[in-house]
Amino acid sequence: MASILINLLIAAFMGTVLIGLQRKVMARVQMRPGPPIIQYVLHTLKFYLKETSFPKTAAMPFYIAIASTLCAIWVTGIIMGPVTQGSLLLIFGIYAMHKIVEHNAGSSSGSPYGKLSCVRAVFSASAELPLFALLIVVYLQTHTMIISDIITYQSINGPLIFSIPLAGIMFFVLLITKSHYSLFSITKGKDIISGYETEHFGVMRGYLMFSESISWYMLLWIYLTVFFGPLSLISYFMGMIVISVIIAIINAISPILNPNHSVMFQITCAFIGIFGSIILMII
Amino acid sequence: MDKLKLFSYIGLIISIIGIGYALIFNLPAWIVYTISIFLIPVFLLTIGLIVMAKPIKDEEEERVFEPFIGY
Repeated sequence: MASILINLLIAAFMGTVLIGLQRKVMARVQMRPGPPIIQYVLHTLKFYLKETSFPKTAAMPFYIAIASTLCAIWVTGIIMGPVTQGSLLLIFGIYAMHKIVEHNAGSSSGSPYGKLSCVRAVFSASAELPLFALLIVVYLQTHTMIISDIITYQSINGPLIFSIPLAGIMFFVLLITKSHYSLFSITKGKDIISGYETEHFGVMRGYLMFSESISWYMLLWIYLTVFFGPLSLISYFMGMIVISVIIAIINAISPILNPNHSVMFQITCAFIGIFGSIILMII
Repeated sequence: MDKLKLFSYIGLIISIIGIGYALIFNLPAWIVYTISIFLIPVFLLTIGLIVMAKPIKDEEEERVFEPFIGY
């Protein structure tokens, strides 16, 4: 239990700082000063202490339960990942649940912006295709889905980023998809205000932000663990910072794609990633 | 005390007891994971609902229970 709590605190803190770092780098690329790196930490805390209100059109208690569900699935992610180094398939399940939460958070409030985001969350399930394809490629290469066994495999055979590079690129596209202010973030585009989060106010918004910071940390943790093998704590932190900076640069110079283009791009990446990796394995 | 506050306090007490129990005693792994998955989110939610800013009494009805404006 102590291990779970400690990992949760690390994930929440690192996740919020990395998102703040992303915003800072994006601002600097766009020749703006940008907010301080701890801005996301401050925002999360600020919202957490703000009064919430419940729209009359909200489907209660689902409106509150869905925010709790997001937190619960990412606590599960912490348990499956850093604590037990369990199955990648369950991690995929957690990402699928995250998509379901995005969908239902949007629909639970009754807001038209939430509903639009809810529909776009269904479209953007295409982002899970690269993740699913990745699981297949990793399994074909290592013959296991268990994270601890994948780490052992890499300590013997070297990092997977060199043996299945297309899968690594595919996962990197997934990282971009899940990042804040990305070209694929159609569920939270400014054309729909804040998307599925629009009508979750105050404490509920802070709660969602807290869970999202854990999800960002977990995604980076999985990428580094699955593709770069056994790493020390310092290596994890350095790797997460480097990846966040690279993604921030990409996001800073890219506009948000049209939902249809976003879906097409992600499906194309999944297609190239999986078939390209299989062909490379055969050759 | 209104319903929200009452449920928040009950949830907070249950989650503190559950998390404390899992921390102190050497429980089987599956029980610890179950307690973590259910009670940590409840703890975070209930503590937020308890410590959040309170509206002025006169404005409470208008602010907390947002009137339907018709979508």
